[in-house]
Amino acid sequence: MKTNPVRLEIFKSLFHAIAEEMGATLKRTAFSPNIKERRDYSCAIFDHHGDMLAQGDHMPVHLGSMPLSVKAAIENRNIGPGDIVILNDPYKGGTHLPDITLVSGVFSRKKLIFYVACRAHHSDVGGMSPGSMPLAEEIYQEGLRIPPIKLMSGGKLNTDVWDLILSNVRTPQEREGDLAAMLGANRTGERRLMEVVEKYGWNEVSRYVTEILNYSERMTRHAISVIPDGTYEAEDFLDNDGITDKPIAIRVRIQIKGDQAVIDFSRSDPQVQGSVNAVYAITASVVFYVFRTLVSLLIPSNAGGMRPLQIIAPEGTIVNARPPAAVCGGNVETSQRIVDVLYKCLAAAMPGRIPAASQGTMNNFTFGGVDPRTQKAVAYYETVSGGMGARPTMDGLSGVHTHMTNSMNTPVEALEHAYPVRMLRYSLRPESGGQGKCRGGDGVIRELRFLTKAQITVLSDRRKFPPYGLNGGEPGQRGMNVLIRKDGRREELPSKFSTAVEAGDILSIQSPGGGGWGRK
Amino acid sequence: MKNFRIGVDTGGTFTDFVVIRGGKIEIFKELSTPQHPEEAIMKGLARFEEDAAKEVIHGSTVATNALLERKGARTALLTTEGFEDVIVIGRQTRRQLYNIFVTRPEPLVADGLRLGVRERVLYDGSVELPLDREHLRGLIDRIRGQNVESVAVALLYSFANSAHEEQILRELLPLGIPVSLSSRVMPEYREYERTSTTVINAYLGPLMGRYLHQLQARLRNCPLRVMQSNGGAIQAEAAAAAPVRTIVSGPAGGVVGAFHVAQASGYPGIITFDMGGTSTDVSLCLDSIKVTHESHVDGLPVGIPMIDIHTVGAGGGSIAQLDPGGALKVGPESAGADPGPICYGKGTQLTVTDANVILGRLLPRFFLGGAMPLLVDRIEPSARRLDWARQWKSLEDLAQGAIDVVNNNMEQAVRLISVERGYDPRDFTLFCFGGAGGLHAAALAGGLGIPRVVVPRFPGALSALGLILADARKDYSRTLLINAEGSDSKLRKALEELHRLGMAELQTEGFRKSEIQSADFVDLRYRGQSYELTIPLVRNFVEQFHAVHERRYGYSNPDSPVELVNVRTTFSGRTPKPKFGKSPKQRGKPQPVESRPVWIDRKRVKTAIYDRETLGHGHTIRGPAIIGEYSSTTLVPPGFRCSVDAYLNLVLEAS
Repeated sequence: MKTNPVRLEIFKSLFHAIAEEMGATLKRTAFSPNIKERRDYSCAIFDHHGDMLAQGDHMPVHLGSMPLSVKAAIENRNIGPGDIVILNDPYKGGTHLPDITLVSGVFSRKKLIFYVACRAHHSDVGGMSPGSMPLAEEIYQEGLRIPPIKLMSGGKLNTDVWDLILSNVRTPQEREGDLAAMLGANRTGERRLMEVVEKYGWNEVSRYVTEILNYSERMTRHAISVIPDGTYEAEDFLDNDGITDKPIAIRVRIQIKGDQAVIDFSRSDPQVQGSVNAVYAITASVVFYVFRTLVSLLIPSNAGGMRPLQIIAPEGTIVNARPPAAVCGGNVETSQRIVDVLYKCLAAAMPGRIPAASQGTMNNFTFGGVDPRTQKAVAYYETVSGGMGARPTMDGLSGVHTHMTNSMNTPVEALEHAYPVRMLRYSLRPESGGQGKCRGGDGVIRELRFLTKAQITVLSDRRKFPPYGLNGGEPGQRGMNVLIRKDGRREELPSKFSTAVEAGDILSIQSPGGGGWGRK
Repeated sequence: MKNFRIGVDTGGTFTDFVVIRGGKIEIFKELSTPQHPEEAIMKGLARFEEDAAKEVIHGSTVATNALLERKGARTALLTTEGFEDVIVIGRQTRRQLYNIFVTRPEPLVADGLRLGVRERVLYDGSVELPLDREHLRGLIDRIRGQNVESVAVALLYSFANSAHEEQILRELLPLGIPVSLSSRVMPEYREYERTSTTVINAYLGPLMGRYLHQLQARLRNCPLRVMQSNGGAIQAEAAAAAPVRTIVSGPAGGVVGAFHVAQASGYPGIITFDMGGTSTDVSLCLDSIKVTHESHVDGLPVGIPMIDIHTVGAGGGSIAQLDPGGALKVGPESAGADPGPICYGKGTQLTVTDANVILGRLLPRFFLGGAMPLLVDRIEPSARRLDWARQWKSLEDLAQGAIDVVNNNMEQAVRLISVERGYDPRDFTLFCFGGAGGLHAAALAGGLGIPRVVVPRFPGALSALGLILADARKDYSRTLLINAEGSDSKLRKALEELHRLGMAELQTEGFRKSEIQSADFVDLRYRGQSYELTIPLVRNFVEQFHAVHERRYGYSNPDSPVELVNVRTTFSGRTPKPKFGKSPKQRGKPQPVESRPVWIDRKRVKTAIYDRETLGHGHTIRGPAIIGEYSSTTLVPPGFRCSVDAYLNLVLEAS
């Protein structure tokens, strides 16, 4: 029977809308700013094999990793009606520990017909420092590690698991609210999928499940077939791992043959002592993200789009770490560099179509201390935007999040009210974008004074190696982390550091500019 | 004799006029004159005898268009030094995740006109760094040489202490150009949203001022009021000073009209469905019109209260095309008014309107009273020239497919404002107006489980009717950011101030004390949360907050400290409402004007065609039927029954 273009369009938009609706439930009901305001979450639906059908327009870094969490849940637990599996173990379907995932099955007449999953970044999951984004050397220091286990069995909450989790985190009440919101998101997905099956009948629905996967596959294959056949190579570096100062190489070789691509990371550096190790799920997310951006139309993010892509990432490398390596920075920093390497490689194949490097970091900033106004402990986490790489036909945007993240900033007027800091400057960083026919976007300067002593941690990159330009465009300015002590002493700090500050000390985070495109 | 009020709604194609005389609603239209909207208005008003109108209430697109087309004033922004780029960075996000060619909305303030003032106020309103006047004068000198037409002033924490903004205002007076202060436009926290709202106000000010001034001059002594985005109308002079409040003037009129007609006819919960040429507006009303403080217009945040209207790119002019992956897409690209659908005479792309004509649902004899011909014969040859369309076995099949897709797009839009916000569409009535909706409403309702569709009288002029029905409304707010417990004295003080302001302004609007009403609200949240719930200000408002939180989000934390973020007051001035008279029951059966084949559910079905003018209270029509009228056409599918109620609404229900 021929595919009906009308039904195809309707189901495509239906499945996407369901994933979006799950996200809306989560955002509306979550407790923590991290989910509500920064929007650090993703929701997706899967067919009965665990192949992803649609993901909401949430976090790109979760694209390839959501399917792996469902796979891990299926492999490790027998999911029946009313069961919900919880996990955050990066080595079993997770990304980094703060990202907790819930997976549940959708049943029709006792037959499993879909899976739904949601994942959210929780602002604390225990470990050696508040916010659970430490400069760690082992995963055990990063927080509570949850393998795929049942949070609910047959519709009943497994209170042992619940209590264990809440006893291991710094802000249990907030976790409780966020987890409840996530349960609600999965229920929304379940309910909506059942409505769809009721309306169209399972035969019709299952046919279009297949068709939608094929659709994304076709569109991705079409995008790949535009790339000239051949083998292309590129490398780029992370500044360091935060423990030693040695650069870390990520190398990729992309082989394009017709409408498929082999993406081989074999020559990348081994995993490292610090926390910038990426698990395989991250690498898969990045590959999927980059190829999806080559498809000019909006297509469903699903397993079909992955089919033409073969990823080779040997275990034990920086792009597929083995336990017990620490991984929290792999998600936020290494992911950005893998993007840069892939685009650089594709630029060799299609010089006119690929943008120059964007800031290539998320400038993660965490602090913890006691607020002198209330005598209460506070912990805060934010990421800082930077310059976008110039595009072949237009300048890069300034002061914007790029590639694997799109989380919001905290308003100055909200930040100062809630935390003992004073913002001195939040501005673009003039002339930090690379020159070129098209200019790279400028980075930003976020400069604040601490009003009390605090422990601060910065996990950033592109402080040594600037974001590259393309086709003769200049690189963007590298970023800087500067600490100006109360007595006026000025220290330029490395990409990744953790230090104690006193009241009156000033931290200035200056994010990198984007690379330029084309000779001026 | 000055005895009636006239609603004038300027639209892209037509300017609609509504008058109620002797309890009867009269409507008529003039072609719009987009370059000078007042020309069409004056032409329409010329139909009345001199000085007949008691008041003109105007729904205007001047502010919207100036914003969308970036035709506002050359604007400078004065903000706290170090934060000049807040307006550029925004919330640091990009609009589309997977588009490497993503853009930002064009900024309203040019580079070089974002200027930092040396001063600093803290969150509690205390002054850390007093305003440096010398430095400020230097900045003003720079503005002077730059042909600036309007200035926005938005300093950090101006909601807590507006003294520095007021000082700057005094220093700017000699420039003789309009100044917008953030502490007056939107005295609420979150600097980006407040600055953006203030800048939009400054950007639109000169243009809106000129337009309303000219219009008022031509109306001479007849008072002029303007519809705001919040659903209330205010005096032209006040509107000219706060143009940001009129951005969605027209659509707001539509919702107000729908709400009042629905209330009068006995439908407390409605989902408004306004399908036009390029887009569809939907909004949900339950006992009241819902207002939001978190709107975006063209990608820019607008933090003042606006009716919560969701717009989707699906309309009569939406273009159908096959994407490279083999799916049929409809919209958001639109053929607009030019070239328009194929059947309008110039278009070459298949649109939703063409699809309706192909299926025999849109009848030339009714289309704008036959004033604009529908070139039915143009469609088939044009469609044959579209390569992708050949895979359909018949044109009718393709047309039905396009309708199914556009219906699905609109269904998702309705889900977004209902299901995603915790409302069940099955508890609502779909209230259908605008030109294109009547052909889609029954299918849309069916898809959502909505039990009833109501098509009011004059569905094409409901926005203009809403203008006459609207009360005057002004919203006031102040950010406090204090603990809810023990907030009494600060809350009382802030409220007194808001009430003083509200009462004075409504009296200026010409209302007597007895016509003025106010309602107070507080925005509350648990400390640490970043979004607030708006709760009516009652004695035990904290308890209420826990209860509402429980209801909305499924849990509450009665032990957690509650923060009082904003206090809000709404003042309204009651305007005289026309009585909607009940129409006497008609005897007998309605007579169709003809009977013809129409494609419904992929079959040709013999369908009775009725002229709405001939239908009266108590008449019932069984589907399949089509009811045509001057500005709209309604399809009653098989299995549906349409009855005419006492207010002459068409009421469609599954039979």
